[in-house]
Amino acid sequence: VNDIRSSPKKLPRDFHAKAELHKTQRVVSVCQMYFLDYYCDMFDYVISRRQRTKKVLEYLSQQGDLKSPDQLNGEWTGYLEKEHEILRKRRLKPKNKDFE
Amino acid sequence: MSFLQNFHLSPGQTIRSTRGFRWNTDSNKDVDSTRSSPKRSRDDRSGLVGTQPNAQNLDTQLWVTPTRSGNTLPELQQRQTQREANVVTDFNYTPSHQKQFLQPTAGTAVSSHQDLKQIVEITLGSEGVLNQAVKLPRGEDENEWMAVHCVDFYNQINMLYGTITEFCSPQSCPRMIATNEYEYLWSFHKGESPVAVSAPKYVECLMKWCQEQFDDESIFPAKTSGQFPQKFIQRFVIPMLRRLFRVYAHIYCHHFNEVLELNLQTVLNTSFRHFCLFSQEFELLKPSDFGPLLELVMELRDR
Ligand SMILES: [Zn+2]
Repeated sequence: VNDIRSSPKKLPRDFHAKAELHKTQRVVSVCQMYFLDYYCDMFDYVISRRQRTKKVLEYLSQQGDLKSPDQLNGEWTGYLEKEHEILRKRRLKPKNKDFE
Repeated sequence: MSFLQNFHLSPGQTIRSTRGFRWNTDSNKDVDSTRSSPKRSRDDRSGLVGTQPNAQNLDTQLWVTPTRSGNTLPELQQRQTQREANVVTDFNYTPSHQKQFLQPTAGTAVSSHQDLKQIVEITLGSEGVLNQAVKLPRGEDENEWMAVHCVDFYNQINMLYGTITEFCSPQSCPRMIATNEYEYLWSFHKGESPVAVSAPKYVECLMKWCQEQFDDESIFPAKTSGQFPQKFIQRFVIPMLRRLFRVYAHIYCHHFNEVLELNLQTVLNTSFRHFCLFSQEFELLKPSDFGPLLELVMELRDR
């Protein structure tokens, strides 16, 4: 067990003492929560965005006979600008980065 | 040799995705279509009318490998012999050792927001879903999509490394290495040659360097009107991802046992797989950038 070259299960000698520290337990649970929250939020965003895009495209195709291509392109571009702004805000939202 | 050839696919070869993640099972179409070719048009913004969006059925979507010829994988780049014989490296990364913890799970179909939390729990460690999520949303600016992901991966790596800071010290890891064959050096001043630093020092410098770029309005614009700089991807995104990758490499190669004991292997694998899929989708990293983890990258990709 002491030969680290032959043991793939090797842990540092003081691993368990450190792992049991309140500090370690806390960062581990914060990390798990962070990922769960991140992926929930990310999938939620991706799915919502796809649904919004779908609705806009459906709407625009219904308007096809009533409006000029320029109008339709304008509305599509306007929609994309709004989406772009939402995405940028996601990047800038305050990050709970420093837990230590 | 293209990136995908490392995953045992020939250029131009077409494979059918059998792990398709269906975003909308009812209508079986998705306007936010995914591209099947690495060549992507950027005219979504200007031309909607005239080119009706083709409703693509993701289920039958074909996945075509790029035909572009890239670089050959340099033989063990940055190969270094361990200069200090007294530093014994804990080489705890072996693919066979990690294989059992990669946890393949069946594909998941998501058609609504319901049960998302549950699905995410299953999905962490699953596959298929992330492949779809990395795709550029229809009409979105590629630079913004890159920027969001840079910040996301930075945060993820910060979190992951934060859990092992107790175990990654200048004593345990006097050099920023990944296996015995790769050592990453840090350049403190422009023009000066990079120097060897401890792993925690390297990560500290790296995170600070990333943060400085995020805070720079001329690189990562915060204002609605702010523009990305010229060649943003080549000049800023790729260098950042190449360096962030090294933290994954160090964790996998030297702290995987601690990660296992802390029961964080699923989040680590999910995060790394997400990182790889994103890099691959936009052809950001070369096989040589994955050096010490190339085998693991293949394992995560192939299953
Ligand atoms: Zn370390």
